[in-house]
Amino acid sequence: MSDITSRERVLKLFSGGEVDRTPCFSGMGNVSTEGLKALGYKFASVHLDAKKMADSAATSYKLFGYECGVLPFDLCVEAEALGCRINVYAHSEDLLYPTIKEKVIHNENEMDIAIPDNFINKGRIPLVCEAIGLMKKDIGNEVAVGSYVLGPFTLAGQIMELNDLLKLSFKKPDKVGKLLDLLSEAIIMAAGEYEKAGVDYITIREMGATSDVLSPRVFKSLIFPYLKKIVGKLKVPAVIHTCGKTNDIVTSMLETGARAISVDQKNDVQESRKKLGKDALLFGNFDPYNVLVTGAPEAVKEAMKKCIDDGVSAVWPGCDIWPTVPAENFKAMMEAVKNYRR
Amino acid sequence: MLTEEKKKELLERLKNAVIQYDEDTAKEAAQEALDVGMEANDAIFNGLVSGMQEVGRLFESQEYFVPELLMCADALYAGLDILKPHVKQLDLGVKGSVVIGTVEGDVHDIGKNIVKMMFDVAGFKVYDLGRDVPLDKFVEEQMKTDSDLVCLSAMMTTTMTGMKKVIDDLRKKNPKVKIMIGGAPVSQDIAEKWGADGYAKDATNALKDAINMISSLKKLKEEAEAGKIDR
Repeated sequence: MSDITSRERVLKLFSGGEVDRTPCFSGMGNVSTEGLKALGYKFASVHLDAKKMADSAATSYKLFGYECGVLPFDLCVEAEALGCRINVYAHSEDLLYPTIKEKVIHNENEMDIAIPDNFINKGRIPLVCEAIGLMKKDIGNEVAVGSYVLGPFTLAGQIMELNDLLKLSFKKPDKVGKLLDLLSEAIIMAAGEYEKAGVDYITIREMGATSDVLSPRVFKSLIFPYLKKIVGKLKVPAVIHTCGKTNDIVTSMLETGARAISVDQKNDVQESRKKLGKDALLFGNFDPYNVLVTGAPEAVKEAMKKCIDDGVSAVWPGCDIWPTVPAENFKAMMEAVKNYRR
Repeated sequence: MLTEEKKKELLERLKNAVIQYDEDTAKEAAQEALDVGMEANDAIFNGLVSGMQEVGRLFESQEYFVPELLMCADALYAGLDILKPHVKQLDLGVKGSVVIGTVEGDVHDIGKNIVKMMFDVAGFKVYDLGRDVPLDKFVEEQMKTDSDLVCLSAMMTTTMTGMKKVIDDLRKKNPKVKIMIGGAPVSQDIAEKWGADGYAKDATNALKDAINMISSLKKLKEEAEAGKIDR
């Protein structure tokens, strides 16, 4: 019965078919220090080297049977290609994700930007595409491979001061809308390259528009149209992710046309499921740090069962899996999802 | 002459200017308060801060979100900048100096800035290290300034673990210093486990905690004025 591969299971889920059990995968970063240790790579080095990136992304499947391969691991790829300078913290022995060091827009008057010529060959977009190809060759027959782009609002928060962006989205929504429209074009171009490189699905990470920060009203009026625009241009299944208290916007997230939506631990999945109906693909929603990293294996198992009981279509983390996840917790997660039936 | 009625009217205007994020009115009302001889402390605490208290309530009930909160903060600062030079320093036996910043790897500073604002209001000396602050820098700055309090902020799970390092280092070098941590991924549990003295779950809570702190300062002040405290 369970002779199908993880890849077939995940693809079947996306295509709307019946699956033999709930898949356990992610559309966000899931590299672990166990994986990095097995390869002898430093975290700071895997962001700038296609082979290292691909190797690292494959380790969660190879070591623990995680049902996907996803890269990159940071949130700066599009912003860098748009002209921002990034910091990968090369000096640091700690696990630090790259951040934006120098933004493109410094104040309100600089918001009228253009997408650089030859955008798809800027920054690390080609590197990510190369890494997707390598990862696909390595594990692509066994698991679905994915990548992600930022949502337009989250990307805007990378290329300009979040402080300004938030205030302007209230004071001058037209101006912000114009920028989001332009960024949507850039996001569509980057995602198009990832599709050409062979990804099976793409997650659009719009965590900057969480209802913890922005009202559902602004989400619907200012951000929704551009998410919809992006989803409309993607050829592979799109997953929209937002964090925080998302219960008021899950319907909008799905109305973008996204194949699936992804929510974190602050979402009440039972309520979301009621709102979205039984057929909608709803991914989530365990806490990737306070459960997966710091919980005991038994607590991890209980959390996975709860996700399934609450009604997720795939057990999927609320954010990137934090690298220091202990091996026994990763194993406990997989074991629980494989063996538990609702 | 400053009548009770005029005073009430001005306090109301200051309060509403903050709630309605109206920087111009905040400035005008602050200037007028000084002109008619109102105590700057009174205008700050019973006008601006009282407005911010209402903003905190609106934020908690999800009528306001972060953009509104930021605009209200701008209005508060507009009034505060005018009033602050006229504040009579209170001697409450609290030294009130704080080192604050967002830890390395994290470039989010909105929550940190809101907490900072409340310290500014309370008359603390604030050493703001900004965001993406190398971990050693917190310890260094605390030693240099001999601050009573260190506030660490992290918005992402991926950076919050850096706070533990800072706490450990600070404890080693200066066991008496008080440490507050805050940010979306932080929990009471984590604060306890890592040995922080205080914790603010999110902007709402940070604001509330900071306001509570100021309220208790206010109470001390009132008690001092009423001669209840022997000094």
